[in-house]
Amino acid sequence: MPVLEVQNLKKYFANQKAVDDISLEISEGQIFGLLGPNGAGKTTLIRMITGIFYPDSGNIIFDGKPFDAENDITKIGYMPEERGLYKKMKIGEQAVYLAQLKGLSKRDAVARIKDWFARFEMESWWNKKVEDLSKGMQQKLQFVITVLHHPRLIILDEPFSGLDPVNSNLIKDEIYKLARNGSTIIFSTHRMEQVEEICDHIVLVNKGRKILDGTVQQVKQDFKENLFNIGFSDAFAESELNNELFDVVSASQNSMVIQKKENRSNNEILQYFLNNGASIDSFNEMLPSLSDIFIREVEGTPLARRFESN
Amino acid sequence: MKKILLIIQREFLTRVRKRSFIITTLLFPLLYLALIFGTAFIGEKGQTKLKIAVLDSSGKFTKARVDSANAFDKASTLVLVNETPASLEKDFEHKGYDGFVIIPANTVGTMAPDKIEIKANRTLGTASSVQSKLNTIWNDIKYEELGIDSQKQKQLNDSKLTVQVENMQDKGSNAKIASLTGYITGFLIYFILLIYGSQVMMGVMEEKTNRIAEIMVSSVKPFQLMVGKIIGIAAVALTQFLLWIVFVFLIYNITKSGSAGNSAMAVVVGQAQEVFSSLNIPQLLFLFAFYFLGGFFFYASMYAAIGSAVNEDMREAQSLSFPITMIIIFAIFILTIAMQDPTSPIAVWGSIIPFTSPIVMMARVPYGIPGTVPYWQLFLSMGLLVGGFLFMAWFAGKIYRTGILMYGKKPTWKEMLKWAFK
Repeated sequence: MPVLEVQNLKKYFANQKAVDDISLEISEGQIFGLLGPNGAGKTTLIRMITGIFYPDSGNIIFDGKPFDAENDITKIGYMPEERGLYKKMKIGEQAVYLAQLKGLSKRDAVARIKDWFARFEMESWWNKKVEDLSKGMQQKLQFVITVLHHPRLIILDEPFSGLDPVNSNLIKDEIYKLARNGSTIIFSTHRMEQVEEICDHIVLVNKGRKILDGTVQQVKQDFKENLFNIGFSDAFAESELNNELFDVVSASQNSMVIQKKENRSNNEILQYFLNNGASIDSFNEMLPSLSDIFIREVEGTPLARRFESN
Repeated sequence: MKKILLIIQREFLTRVRKRSFIITTLLFPLLYLALIFGTAFIGEKGQTKLKIAVLDSSGKFTKARVDSANAFDKASTLVLVNETPASLEKDFEHKGYDGFVIIPANTVGTMAPDKIEIKANRTLGTASSVQSKLNTIWNDIKYEELGIDSQKQKQLNDSKLTVQVENMQDKGSNAKIASLTGYITGFLIYFILLIYGSQVMMGVMEEKTNRIAEIMVSSVKPFQLMVGKIIGIAAVALTQFLLWIVFVFLIYNITKSGSAGNSAMAVVVGQAQEVFSSLNIPQLLFLFAFYFLGGFFFYASMYAAIGSAVNEDMREAQSLSFPITMIIIFAIFILTIAMQDPTSPIAVWGSIIPFTSPIVMMARVPYGIPGTVPYWQLFLSMGLLVGGFLFMAWFAGKIYRTGILMYGKKPTWKEMLKWAFK
């Protein structure tokens, strides 16, 4: 059963269709990538899922029941792209306060915060103020606060921006751990290499509409162009390579990129090369990167659309 | 509900624990007393003491009469001089006089005195003290001429009618004390609305610029966040008041117990007792709390809405909140009218309409209920204030929920109204 189901969601602002008829499903334990250029409608969509905005029309089903913002928001943890904390408040107190607002008792909140702080080596921060922390430290604190109440659904908007590689990995490991323990994670970003690494399933949104939906592998298969990279151990002459099987895209001394023609099999191509006396080192299909797909799909649309809500 | 309590608690504790709260709580009463006594002091010291030369041609303004008139009133000094008018006019300033008066020779014998001019080289302000002194001397001369001896003079003076207004509905009320009480309570509410109102505005702006607003509204409703902040800050103001009231009673009781052997202190205690007995203290405190809270919720909602609409720029906030500040200052104008004439139509309506009622009603209430303020006016005013702040909170909440997540251009009042009513 999906944790979250969004059906025909719409939210229009005065001069903008921020979210225009989006439907999607997210199943339990998934790491779900919500992708799109700036101003595509991601934040508006997330704000509806977190109960900050009411949709103009459409349904949100959370845990099998219609989304009830009042009670369900305690089962959601949201880390917005624009991080925010009370600058003048002590870190420990602040974390306890925010956890209590998510329904934790004071005692539970303190215990869990101490546990997380120990794990992230932040114990000495308890009585510091947020304004005394570096940006990366604030980021770690923000992550801890987001996941403290063991939410069923965790929404992370650009969780790695501003983090060094060591802390990035620390957070990444925690994300995997949370997903293994049954939390579902929505990961909103436009950093494609992170998506390829982390996400199971992605949705690409542009101009308020969903333009792609599938697993990472699936999407790559859908967009493949039948390109293959062949490596040779000896130099291979390409002179008479006019044939029915493939076109040569590019070639060098020891390798060649070819595009397979319709309805031809890989074996036929290998056969061809072997028959022509080539000694083959490697034969790989070149799948497009998500980045390429992303750029291709949103190209030609103005990237930085201004939203009333963004 | 539990969430609102948590928000109230945070807003309250973070403010009460600040050093600035403790300092202002201790310092404000001192400053307030300094202001009151300071203005009285400056009023007294700041007045120039006129020194006027008197050139008497009639021979009736004797030194004895002038001296006795001078002894009566210290605000000016009359000095009898013996010179020619021309030389006096030439060098009175040189001799240290502010001006001079020439009493004409024909003055005596006519019942109606001539108009007498004080001649000076600059404007002397009111010369009322000089006038009353000259009149004292003049009266004395006339009494003598008419053969009225000092005993008859005394009889004449004693038989003057004094007029005292007695309010038959509110027996205990004393107009002077009532007007002073109204002034003090009205001004306290005015300070609270301005100072704590802008604290609400800045608190909201802080949440917006620190970008914590989005985190908060993913845990609580925007309306809960706004109401929690307003109530938390109201509680801070109320705490401050309670502390002040405790101070006053402590000082009063200490003075009272220490006044047994000290006559000057006994006078002060007696005056205080007179003030307390002429006022209905529990009723006054209750109404003060009511109008302070009602007025605060009413205006703080507006300040919250403005805080949510602007960005970190303080000037934007000031320009948007200017109309609201003006209304509060306007209420003070009506307060000064109501202090003197608590039943004039402007005072009555000012004390009923919620925009001004928290300040103006406090100026009328000490004159007495139901004599000066009939029950219907009081209940209408209270009802409208409750209705007013409920509406205002709803209205401001609508602006607030759109405003706190919005960054960029400062909205106009028109756009904000559109958010509220769309």
